[in-house]
Amino acid sequence: MRRAVGSVPLLLMLFFIGHAKETRYSPPGKPKLTSCRSPEKETFTCWWEPGSDGGLPTTYALYYRKENSDAVYECPDYHTAGENSCFFNKNDTSIWVNYNITVVATNALGSNFSDPVDVDVVYIVQPHTPENVTVTVMEDKDGPFLRVSWEPPRKADTRSGWITLIYELRVKLEGEEEWEEHRAGQQKMFNIFSLRSGGMYLVQVRCKPDHGFWSEWSSTTYIKVPDYFPRETSVWILIAVFSAFIFFILTWILNLKSNSVKHCLLPPVPGPKIKGFDKQLLKNGRSEEVFSALVVPGFPPTTSSDCEDLLVEYLEVYTPEEQELILEEGKDLQEGCLKSKGSPSDSDSGRGSCDSHTLLMEKCGEGEGKEEKHQERAQKGKRQQKHQTGWEEGDVSHTREDVLSPDMSEGRVKTWPSVFSPLPQYSSRPLDHQGSLETARQLCLSDSLFPPPSTSSHLSYNAKEGLALGSGQQEFYLGKKQTHPSNPQSQPRWHLQAHSDFNISSMDRKQAASGLQLPGFRSTEYVEVQRVNQEDMVILQPLFSSSCQRDGHLQIGQGEDYSKVKGEDGDSCYTTSTAASSQVTGKPTSCAGTAMPVQEEMVLAANGYVDAATMLL
Amino acid sequence: VRQKFYSTVWVAVLALVYLDFPIRVGTAAICAHGQECHAPSLADLFDRVIQQSSRVHGISSELHSDYEQYFFPSKNHIGKRKCHTYSILTPADKENAQRLGREELTEVILRLLGAWGDPLSQLHRSMTQDQNQDFNHYSSNKALEMSDMVHELRSGVTKVAEKMKLLGVISNALGYMSSPESLAPSSVSSSYERGDFNSIDHHDLLYCFRRDSNKVKNYLRILKCTTLPELDC
Repeated sequence: MRRAVGSVPLLLMLFFIGHAKETRYSPPGKPKLTSCRSPEKETFTCWWEPGSDGGLPTTYALYYRKENSDAVYECPDYHTAGENSCFFNKNDTSIWVNYNITVVATNALGSNFSDPVDVDVVYIVQPHTPENVTVTVMEDKDGPFLRVSWEPPRKADTRSGWITLIYELRVKLEGEEEWEEHRAGQQKMFNIFSLRSGGMYLVQVRCKPDHGFWSEWSSTTYIKVPDYFPRETSVWILIAVFSAFIFFILTWILNLKSNSVKHCLLPPVPGPKIKGFDKQLLKNGRSEEVFSALVVPGFPPTTSSDCEDLLVEYLEVYTPEEQELILEEGKDLQEGCLKSKGSPSDSDSGRGSCDSHTLLMEKCGEGEGKEEKHQERAQKGKRQQKHQTGWEEGDVSHTREDVLSPDMSEGRVKTWPSVFSPLPQYSSRPLDHQGSLETARQLCLSDSLFPPPSTSSHLSYNAKEGLALGSGQQEFYLGKKQTHPSNPQSQPRWHLQAHSDFNISSMDRKQAASGLQLPGFRSTEYVEVQRVNQEDMVILQPLFSSSCQRDGHLQIGQGEDYSKVKGEDGDSCYTTSTAASSQVTGKPTSCAGTAMPVQEEMVLAANGYVDAATMLL
Repeated sequence: VRQKFYSTVWVAVLALVYLDFPIRVGTAAICAHGQECHAPSLADLFDRVIQQSSRVHGISSELHSDYEQYFFPSKNHIGKRKCHTYSILTPADKENAQRLGREELTEVILRLLGAWGDPLSQLHRSMTQDQNQDFNHYSSNKALEMSDMVHELRSGVTKVAEKMKLLGVISNALGYMSSPESLAPSSVSSSYERGDFNSIDHHDLLYCFRRDSNKVKNYLRILKCTTLPELDC
């Protein structure tokens, strides 16, 4: 019965419960502790999440147990921290103690316990955000930078060492997405470099204890960087300016030295130069003169040429004893003259390339060279009708130079081409017809003061000597006497032999016994000095070879005699006519090879360019 | 014969002289010539000690989390067992810590460090002997390192205490300097002596040590900041 009676309330209860279920009443759902946090390691707060309330007003209670204690305590403060929270104040908070916390939800129909959570306050510390974040722009030698400073959150007691915080800040430009984060450690200040000029920056700071959770980011601090000229750009500008400067200098230098650079990179191809080509004349614009200078009389050979034409003709000079001496002296004088004259530079770069005379000189030495020169001179002289500038002194000088050059020294070889020196040289020294010889003579005389070279062989065949037979004979003698002793060495016997192509096949280098000896002068020596003076007078000192007989010599009586080359004969002989002033007696027009005395045949050939190959004497 | 005698005497004397030299080795300063040799200041000592304690705590945290992940993913409390340093009274909040005073605080630190010397070496031994090779091989090295560091830390804190005494910061009333083992609870030590550690024991031990190392670190910081208030604090 009792059971039956007792079961009635149960039944009622069940009925009500059943009824309640129909109206969705139920015990509360299970709450859940979401998190517990301590801002300063002195207090902490726990939050929970309520479950379903079951349709009925539900109350929540939090109970906790401390480690190694069985006492259960209820939360002291449900309100300070807000809804569904429990705040443990300082008195209730123990560090390094394990809390076992449970939340209970209760309503009319029942209660529900949450899962217990173990909490050690040390490990749930999450401080507040740092405070008083200040950002200032500061100047440095490299540019401006930001100085960020802050203070720990108010409640965190770092001064006593109870809590230790480490900080972190982040920066970004306005409008960017990515933050740039920096760890600041325990310091409360940080510098940010490499700023963009004129940019607006956002700065935030947060902190964290040694073992705990990061705080929230502080509120954003805005800072604007003033405009400045970045140093890096200025450095680049400096570099650019510097390199441009260097580039300009290099260009300028290159420009200045363009010639030498061109020379270096593109060496000029040597080409043939035209002898007798005068640039000056060309520049002056008188092409006729230029071309006329180039014209070589007798080329191409118009007349019938026999083999003899190609041969070098040598003039045979017949000299008596005196003449020999004179000649010898004259040679000295010539040497002297020539020596004093020096060797004008020849602008002909092709000199010596095809010049067999030069080669020969090198081979055979002085004597040969002399011979060649004489040969050349002979030929040239013959050709020089048209060469105006036959100055005595020029001739003399040149001849002498020619003569002297081979025997002076090797260096004298270059005087050989002086024979080929351009005409202007001659023209530069216009001489009177009358005074030419004298001046030449004077020159020679003056030159004779110079000691002739003591080289072994020097043949100074001085046409002047021949010329100066008359009046100047004395001088020559003087000269001779002067020079004679200074010429101890014997002269080699030199032969001018006819040979083609200007080659002196053989040279007799025998040295004469006496100092001044013109060995073989009579028979085998051919001296030919020719020149054309101003008035188209070829002064010849020809030695005619027997083969082709030319009249190239002038009979020069006493003093200066020069014969004019009047013209060419049919058999390519030069007809010579003596100058008026000269006392030349006759005009030997015979092509017979007469040996003219040296003095008579003071033919000083001054020539510009003579094509010796075609010179026929 | 006389000459022989004298020569032997000379040799003996020389030998004695030269042998004496190594005996009378003087201690030379490590600092080179011209360099002033300073003993580290109190601030330096504190910094070193605090760094060391921080390192110790870091390793212990790592080991503990490793154990938790490996063995007990859900377990996060010690259970019923107490830490063997439970008997050492330690301040549990800031006020108590500040109320304690420097001398006592130093003493607490030294006690804690002393109480952990043996258990850590035992832990290391136990770990190396454990059959679970993969995990324990990696962890036993850490345990060994931890054990060594605790020993060093203890000697360091001792030096700090001596320095403080020297400077007059703390009085000479501090009596605790030796025999920390006597303070360990017998129950715990007995269990250690038993030697039958298992993983649960490891885990509990590590839990306890992690906490105690944190205490040591915190107490040292408080000690430093109350003794030498600087910008760091």
